[in-house]
Amino acid sequence: MKRNTFWSWFWLAVGVLYFILPLIATFLFSLRAKKGVLSFLAYEHVINDPSFWESFLFSLVVAVFTILVSLLLVVPTAYWIRLRLPQLRTMIEFVTMLPFVIPAIVLVFGIIRVYSGAPFHLTSTFIGTDSLLVAAYAVLALPYMFRAVDSGLGAIDIRSLTEAAQSLGANWFTILFRVIFPNLRVAILSGAFLTLATVIGEFTIASFLVGIHAFGPYMSLIGQNKTYEASSLTIISFGLTWAFMGLLQFITRGRAESLAGAH
Amino acid sequence: MAKESPVQVPDKIQDKQSLADSPVFLEINNVTKIFGSAVAVQDFKLQVRKGEFVSFLGSSGCGKTTTLRMIAGFELPTSGTVMLDGEDITYQSPNQRNVGMVFQSYALFPNMTVGQNIGFGLQVRKISKTEIKQKVDEMLSLIHLEQHIDKYPYQLSGGQQQRVALARALAIQPRVLLLDEPLSALDAKIRVELRLEIRRIQQQTGITTVYVTHDQEEALSLADRIVVMSQGHVEQVGTPSEIYNHPTTEFVASFIGQLNLLPVENVDLKNGACTLGGQMVRFDHSEPRPVGETPRLAIRPEEFQFGQAEGHNVLKGRVENVMFLGAVVRLRINVRGALLSADLFNERAMSLPRVGDVVMVNFPAHACWLM
Amino acid sequence: MSSKPDSKPVENKRDAPQARSALSVWRDWLGVAPFILFAILFILLPSLSLLFGSFQDSKGNFTFQNFMDLFTPDIMGAYWVTIRISLVTALGGGLLGFMMAYGVTVGGLPRWVRSGLSTFSGVASNFAGVPLAFAFIFTLGRVGMVTLLLKSLGVDLYDKGFSLYSFWGLSFTYMYFQFPLMVLTITPALDGLRREWREAAENLGATNTEYWLKVALPILTPSILGTMILLFGNAFGAYATALSLTGGFINLITILIGSQIKGDVLHNPGLGYALAMGMVIVMAVMMTIYYFLRRRSERWLKQ
Repeated sequence: MKRNTFWSWFWLAVGVLYFILPLIATFLFSLRAKKGVLSFLAYEHVINDPSFWESFLFSLVVAVFTILVSLLLVVPTAYWIRLRLPQLRTMIEFVTMLPFVIPAIVLVFGIIRVYSGAPFHLTSTFIGTDSLLVAAYAVLALPYMFRAVDSGLGAIDIRSLTEAAQSLGANWFTILFRVIFPNLRVAILSGAFLTLATVIGEFTIASFLVGIHAFGPYMSLIGQNKTYEASSLTIISFGLTWAFMGLLQFITRGRAESLAGAH
Repeated sequence: MAKESPVQVPDKIQDKQSLADSPVFLEINNVTKIFGSAVAVQDFKLQVRKGEFVSFLGSSGCGKTTTLRMIAGFELPTSGTVMLDGEDITYQSPNQRNVGMVFQSYALFPNMTVGQNIGFGLQVRKISKTEIKQKVDEMLSLIHLEQHIDKYPYQLSGGQQQRVALARALAIQPRVLLLDEPLSALDAKIRVELRLEIRRIQQQTGITTVYVTHDQEEALSLADRIVVMSQGHVEQVGTPSEIYNHPTTEFVASFIGQLNLLPVENVDLKNGACTLGGQMVRFDHSEPRPVGETPRLAIRPEEFQFGQAEGHNVLKGRVENVMFLGAVVRLRINVRGALLSADLFNERAMSLPRVGDVVMVNFPAHACWLM
Repeated sequence: MSSKPDSKPVENKRDAPQARSALSVWRDWLGVAPFILFAILFILLPSLSLLFGSFQDSKGNFTFQNFMDLFTPDIMGAYWVTIRISLVTALGGGLLGFMMAYGVTVGGLPRWVRSGLSTFSGVASNFAGVPLAFAFIFTLGRVGMVTLLLKSLGVDLYDKGFSLYSFWGLSFTYMYFQFPLMVLTITPALDGLRREWREAAENLGATNTEYWLKVALPILTPSILGTMILLFGNAFGAYATALSLTGGFINLITILIGSQIKGDVLHNPGLGYALAMGMVIVMAVMMTIYYFLRRRSERWLKQ
């Protein structure tokens, strides 16, 4: 049956326009750092700024730690509730939905209140605040990580794999790391990329815990003082997000639920 | 299991005479459907009488569902016409044809209760609420699910859902009822129960029905006539016993039931005789049949009996395999290189031959034919 | 002929074993202990701390005053603005997202459009916060590209009263990450509309419109509403985008809380905690509705 696709194309065009115009505008602006001539000067300034690299690398390292911590928390838990403790599923799923109920600003508020004073005093040391940062991000990433890993586990028959491994003499540690984790590659990678994309540009929590050491607050600071560099940073940030999501899409071959982000 | 002489088996309880008097109601004339470069249906011709139950039988990809969908209007023929009650409906849109369709996956609307599903077609026709209620109740008692009227599809079993789907299709009093492999998604036991239900309802309402299936047993037990299809072509159209006992093509002969095809020599068509493994065999030569390059003797496994019998063909061979299948014992017998399957009804006191035994089996001449 | 196909591995019944010895049960709980510990430390504790703080005054005594103070016009106004912007962008983003998702599924656009849209949506829904605000400033700010373009065509946006740094400007910016989220979530739901439902409806005499009104939309409604709730939550809790765009000019609850953490203005920590609790309550209500909607749609569509 031939369908009239006019309206479909129309709405698509609206959406595409909405999506592209800000990017074009920013990109064009970023080329105008040098008076009267189109150049990549703004990009040069950014790349030559040591604070750019410091903050970017800082956020990258924090992201990596966040991914590791989340995986170490989520994978065994998801595995256990499938295999041994299915009665806990509702409670665990409830916990993974909590980050939706507690916005980032509220979370950081609470974390500061608890951990800056006695008895933790975590905010007075770098390692303390950095750890809090990782913990906070792990909370934010929880829903997505859990969902990705849980559906990944759902797709493989973990009972049989576990029993086979046990009959061959493996202990739990071995089973987790040499049998379960490797079979969850796609799920883990998709959760990881999502976390990466979320953490690198994150502003809310970073601004209160570590300030301009992180990439998000760094961008904000640049934006207040140097407009051209701000525009080139925006494009760079967009390019990074695109790269991560592109890799994510490549890995998951387009399972849509794993792509949704939130802010 | 062997018969002494060919017995006329009455096909259905339905009076054959009354069907024959029925006018032709659904006509499919030289319908062809081509998808891109693939021919799904080639030159399909069929006339269905009013009140008749016709089954399209074949394996996947043979074109039976495509043909059904063309009757329903979900596909348009590349060429040919479909006539219903004298009206050319070939290009009519599906929502105007008033044919009822039952899908393999039930396709009940998940957001509506049983009652609402059944009443949907009536609601669309803007029939009054009281009349709808009446009809829905009527349908529910037809399928014996009165107490489920307010349930949602997910609360019902597969068999129940399919009955609701049937009621929903019948509620609009369609001119033709189309069923697309309605029982394939159900458990074996439910399948048998439900197909009897379907037939009972069809006979009660007298509605012209086309039933698509790949299951021979369903087709043979339900239909007044069967259309055997293969790769887009109609192989044979006939009553169940015609299809089974007088298959006109090799495909039909081997597709339906089990069939032995044994190589023979020295074929004498005029007198209906040939040799099989050096032994003489007489066959049914009453009907003119096209015989292939290498003539083979066709005979169903159930036609064999142990030992010799007056006037029957006899074959001597060595037992190669004995399979106890419960009601039936299947023997594989080697007759000078030709392997034949013989099915014998199980008898409690029977002593089965063993592998390696030499046995004799007999069968009447009219039970076999040349292909 | 096989019996009813049961392709999903029968995990639910098989995975859980029967009787277990006390030791191994204890050991199982050990497996989930780190997770539970983490949840307690970094979700429960902070939340409880805020909860308790909201009931304390500056001297640490129990009081309801903080919550009473929420009902001042300023604070109520802030809640109202935040709710309004969340509603507007949830509805607007939801509708636009739905129309686009419709186009690439039922609407018949080619396959390559669909995968392109998927990638775009994945990127856009993650591209929020500071860079997004900047991008919109460069587009629709006072000297933004589109503003200047329209000016050259004779339309002066800012003269006409439009400002990016206003409620509508912020809404417009928020929708950038709202509608892709809708596209991503609703596309699978649209895919889930089985062809047979449409055919059965047609077969029973329904027109295309009737099919949509009576069958498809009712089936989709829980998903659509559920996603809009997620969108609402998204906007409700947004901080970085709002701050970067308006510098705190628009009084959103998140901005207020942010100021509170920084220690300016309110000098009333208890009020800050009450604000935060207020947010959590609103979000909790939304998530509960979301949960029931999800349950309803999952039950209907269960095979």
